[in-house]
Amino acid sequence: MNDFSELERELKKLQPVRPSATLMERIEQALADVNKIPSNLIAPKRFTINWVGLGLGVAAAAAFLILARVDFRPAAKTPSQVASAAPALPQSAAPLPNFVPAGVTRVVYNTRDEGLVFRGGHERPARRVRTAQRETLQWRDPQSGASLRVSYPTEEVTLIPVLGQ
Amino acid sequence: MENVATHEDWKVCFSQLAPGLVLFARQWVRSRADAEDVVQDAFVRFWRRNHRIDNRALLYSAVRSAALDLIRRDQRRSRREIEVFADADRSVQPEFEPGDDSQRELATAVDHLPRDQREVLVMKVWNDLTFAEIAETLGISPNTAASRYRYALAALKKRLQPQ
Repeated sequence: MNDFSELERELKKLQPVRPSATLMERIEQALADVNKIPSNLIAPKRFTINWVGLGLGVAAAAAFLILARVDFRPAAKTPSQVASAAPALPQSAAPLPNFVPAGVTRVVYNTRDEGLVFRGGHERPARRVRTAQRETLQWRDPQSGASLRVSYPTEEVTLIPVLGQ
Repeated sequence: MENVATHEDWKVCFSQLAPGLVLFARQWVRSRADAEDVVQDAFVRFWRRNHRIDNRALLYSAVRSAALDLIRRDQRRSRREIEVFADADRSVQPEFEPGDDSQRELATAVDHLPRDQREVLVMKVWNDLTFAEIAETLGISPNTAASRYRYALAALKKRLQPQ
């Protein structure tokens, strides 16, 4: 019997404050903007991946996957056969881990304002802000509990249009 | 991680999840406006990465991460404030719709819960996450998530008991 069932019902009656009406519009606009990626707001070199870091991460992930497929159990002792008429049964490989995304973190560790820049084809200058961050993606196999994490540094350059008064 | 949801699916999904997501983000930020910014940032990032729409643990994890990023970026806050998430001056704005006296008392009691219990309670009650999903979001075991939930309910019950 759940002693807290009445309290849980009371909690359910509490209604979180509705988000502002503009939030839905902002989300809709942001989703639409993702598709067209406005060049006037974000520089083409938006994410500059440190390939060395990413390469090391991918190498570590590959090594993990290779190790995860290795069966460390001692092989079952089978009587040695000198000759056999029956064809050898194909050995089945260890099943691939069923990884599902388990987490993503993005830590901003440095933001630098690089001042105003003038872009070709634009009348107004823009402020260039460079953000250094580290993204970590994590996967987890719910069945085995094994987890896989890939972490890499990224750099984001954002051009913010400067509006005159 | 293939996303088969359409743009319309995402809008419907977001409109259903938005109140709970904003409430969840309010665990870390002071104002509703900050919470909405966090939710927008996390949701758009989640959508951009083509994650599965039903991977709610990852979505809530992204909201939590975005909230912590916002705190780190806010240079006006001291390190100490970041560590305690400014528990003392939270809830300048109400997190729940105004109700009767008992509901207001309950909302206040929820607000006074320790942060680790409150976040589990918020995910469980107002976002309908399973303990497994909560565990994935917070990086804890499902048993720990369930324990924190029970501790939260016990603390609420104790606080609301007539003296």
